[in-house]
Amino acid sequence: MVQLTNVSKNYGNKRKVRALRDVELHVASGERVALVGPSGSGKSTLLNLICGLDEPTTGTVIVAGAVLSELSDDARTRMRREKIGMIFQTFNLLPTLTALENVGLPLRLQGIAKRETERRAFSMLERVGLKERATHRPDELSGGESQRLAIARALVFNPSLLLGDEPTGNLDSATGEEILGLLDELHREQRCTLLLVTHNASVAGYCDRILTLRDGQIIKEERGERGPAESR
Amino acid sequence: MMFPALLLITLRQWRTHKLRLALTTLSIALGVAVFFAIRTGNSILLDSLKSTVERLAGKATLQVTAGESGLPEEVLETVRATPGVRIAQPVIEVIADTSFGDEGRLLVLGVDTTGDRELRDYEFDRSRTEIADPLLFLAQPNSILLSRAFAERHSLRLGDRLALFASEGRREFTVRGVFQPVGLGAVFGGNIAVMDVYSAQLVFNRGHNFDRIDLMNFADVPIETVQQRLRARLASGVEVLRPEVRGEALENAVTAMRIGMLMTSFVALLVCMYIIFNSFTIAVNQRWKEIGVLRAVGVERRNIRGMFLAEALLMGVLGSLLGIAAGYCLAGATGRVMGTIAAAAYGLVSTPERVSFQLGFTLSSFVLGVGASLAGAWFPARAASQLDPVLALHNIETRQAETVLGWRRMGAGGLLVATGFALIRWSSPRTGLTFQFVYAGGILLGLTLLLPRLVQWAARALRPLMDWAAGSEGALAIDSMIQSPRRSAATVGALMVGLMFVFSTEAYIQGYRRVIDRWMNEVLNSDLFVATSTLMRSPTYHFSEELGRQIADIPGVKRVEDIRFTSVPYRGDTPALVAIEMDGFLARAQDAVEGADGRSLREQLPRGEGVLISRNFSTRWGLGVGDHVRLDAPSGPIERPILGILDDYRSEKGTIFMERALYKKYWGDSAVDFIDVNLAPGADPGKVKQEIQRFTSNTTHAFVYTNAEFKRWVAGLVDQFFMLNYMQLVIAILVAMLGIINTLLISVSERRREMGILRAIGGLRSQIRKLVLLEAVAISLVGVLMGALAAVFNTEFLTHAVSIALAGYHIPFYFPWPLVLWSLPFVVAASLLAGWWPASRAVRMQVVEAIGYE
Repeated sequence: MVQLTNVSKNYGNKRKVRALRDVELHVASGERVALVGPSGSGKSTLLNLICGLDEPTTGTVIVAGAVLSELSDDARTRMRREKIGMIFQTFNLLPTLTALENVGLPLRLQGIAKRETERRAFSMLERVGLKERATHRPDELSGGESQRLAIARALVFNPSLLLGDEPTGNLDSATGEEILGLLDELHREQRCTLLLVTHNASVAGYCDRILTLRDGQIIKEERGERGPAESR
Repeated sequence: MMFPALLLITLRQWRTHKLRLALTTLSIALGVAVFFAIRTGNSILLDSLKSTVERLAGKATLQVTAGESGLPEEVLETVRATPGVRIAQPVIEVIADTSFGDEGRLLVLGVDTTGDRELRDYEFDRSRTEIADPLLFLAQPNSILLSRAFAERHSLRLGDRLALFASEGRREFTVRGVFQPVGLGAVFGGNIAVMDVYSAQLVFNRGHNFDRIDLMNFADVPIETVQQRLRARLASGVEVLRPEVRGEALENAVTAMRIGMLMTSFVALLVCMYIIFNSFTIAVNQRWKEIGVLRAVGVERRNIRGMFLAEALLMGVLGSLLGIAAGYCLAGATGRVMGTIAAAAYGLVSTPERVSFQLGFTLSSFVLGVGASLAGAWFPARAASQLDPVLALHNIETRQAETVLGWRRMGAGGLLVATGFALIRWSSPRTGLTFQFVYAGGILLGLTLLLPRLVQWAARALRPLMDWAAGSEGALAIDSMIQSPRRSAATVGALMVGLMFVFSTEAYIQGYRRVIDRWMNEVLNSDLFVATSTLMRSPTYHFSEELGRQIADIPGVKRVEDIRFTSVPYRGDTPALVAIEMDGFLARAQDAVEGADGRSLREQLPRGEGVLISRNFSTRWGLGVGDHVRLDAPSGPIERPILGILDDYRSEKGTIFMERALYKKYWGDSAVDFIDVNLAPGADPGKVKQEIQRFTSNTTHAFVYTNAEFKRWVAGLVDQFFMLNYMQLVIAILVAMLGIINTLLISVSERRREMGILRAIGGLRSQIRKLVLLEAVAISLVGVLMGALAAVFNTEFLTHAVSIALAGYHIPFYFPWPLVLWSLPFVVAASLLAGWWPASRAVRMQVVEAIGYE
């Protein structure tokens, strides 16, 4: 599903900062992978390169069989809205839209009719337990509810790849557990590939594989506590 | 020492927000430029009117006049015989058409060749003049002297023939001399000629009248003494004035035009105040955290307010200086346009003057520009000073959505609108313009207070439509307005003011046209009209009665009415006087007259036993049927009862109608300005028109219109009158567009994260562009809506208050919905244009940075 070959990313002109150095990564379809490491280790940069928001300085990023550097900006954007779901630490919900509208937004951007969008978005809200909150705006939701809403938005179009950037970073531990449980259930239902960035060991433990980054390099690879997804 | 530090922070902000600075300064500059150009153009016109009078007067210290009808020849003898008068010379002044067409209009000065040199210096071009004294040579019939400018423009040399269209027909003159383009020769752009006064009397149908008498007093007799002696000896209808005072009196003639222009010159400044308000609201939002930090480290509220006001002051100074420079460049063109309007609507001759830098206007424009900037920035500066530092220091994401104004302010806004409207609607027409302007200002202030709420309501109402028409981008675009109603309200306000004036001016013009149409159907309902000029009228060039008699002989013509349309002095004003054959007039227009019964009118008016007055004359002087009008004719006073009132729109100073024979008797003037031709049943107006044209071509400078053509011609004159207003309004809309750019740039900046999220979850660049452009469309749609609402009030103000106060015209309320609908695509297109740049900036945004943006 995801293949990174010799990927490096530098920032700045005069004082060059090497965010990633010659990273090699292969994530199989349906696999759950956690990227862990301290702040500034390059986790988020790696995620940005995989979802096509940023471009590597050198190396190749292949997602779902497509070499991202060979795609135009629009093509990369279309890939994001059709194949890649994203969850952020700060939820990144649009404050002016209702919960239903937020979830339906990727579908509306794809040009899907409003009625169909609403049907699918409502069904997704029901799946994450926010049916009653459909008409509420993000500022009327708790942290856990907001993240559930963000997950619903990320999964409403059945992406083949789900990227999470510290999905529980802004939540208390109980709510974090609840969100991870939800992610686990949905992953099993939708059979998507899951790539999580975290520095929380318990979150990483939910994954099949844990990769540790330091100074822009993958320095360690280990199995998660729950083992490969296929085994369960 | 605190203030310089705060100023430094502000200047650093300018470096970061160059675009906001540029757009705001530009809007101030445009507002000031329009104001300065109109004021200076206005002054150029007045100076030009005055200097024309003074140059034509030469060394004359006093001028004797009796309105446009002129003075009987005998007055000259009385003047010359008055002790203290050294020289008195008769003058006839005519703007005559030549065979060179429009470019060849000449101001012909008829003077007494034997003594005029003592009054006026002709500066003859000796090298090109073969005769010893060209002025004396004028005594020969058909001689004319030309200014060198005109002679060179048309390649005329001594001895060449020049054709002039005189009252009796085309007449050939021989060029006998050329004078230099200084002093007298510079008048009317150099298009000036001199001929013998008695020849002029003959060819321009002045009978035994002169247009005026110019005189010089003896040095040892004070001017005032001579003036008093002359007044005592001459009839009450004869005026004796210094040339400069007579020049100033012309200012009175163009009052309505000047006030109209001045009103619209404030529009751009008003629009610019909204832009400044918007710009500073934005600045306060952008510097929210900075204000929190400053307050936290001990900067007092008043210093925070002072920091923003100092910024406004600097912008005001910069914008005003730029505006004055731009206004100076525009002033010449503005003066020319105003001169054209003065010539078309009032028949006034002016001499193009150079633009002079007037310190008074420069200072007033500067003060207004800076004042507008400070006034616009006041509320945002106050809001900044009242900011809670704890809240301000919070992360920007935790900032609460803008609150719209509370119900108390809503109530105050509603009250202001309702009270202002009621006062305009129901106060007496005699209240005075100043009070009426205060009422209109109250309405505008009320609407401004209501605007954030109205914008929010309008945006909420538009949301489903935008969602349906443009998908999620449409909904997100309109959400920005719902979330930030104050930010959007300032831009909508700028658009509202600009469009309000566009719509209400159009409403006024349409209402004006409607009453003119009705008036023309009721009063000007002849089949054909023969006029002396393509302008409303020529105050100097007239037909003779002979032309009417000749037209009456054309087959198909049933009746011909000779009309003298002139102005007369009345209580220090100059209303129009229409001398008409009342038999014919009543036969076709009696229904339009209110007052005495038909029989009394038909019996008394033709016998000259009474007069009719226009409704605006009645309103202006508080006169009604049964009251008496007393006029001072050159031959003595005349007083007649008012027998009826009718609508008439010939003069904003009012019109008096009287029997032509009565006018001829008292004014000794048989000139004709219009000939109304009524046809026999079945006669073809087109054919009779052709026959009149064939008959007058190459002999008389006459313009023949059918009834429909006449209506179109009048409509064209109305358009010409309002031309400059439209030009100013275009600039006001331009300033409002700058506001849209400003607002959208800020919207893009504030919604950076939102747009980043959209891009992250799959929004294409084209969809981001669409989102920004749709916000521009939403602002413009709400702006048009608010502009239309405000225009309803302003139309009431223009038709009910301004029109009655300035001209006494009762214009019906008509709202130009078609224009509002037509304006939509144009305003939307303009807003898309304004939105393109901010949209392009949004599209270029780096998604990763945007999502990480605090």
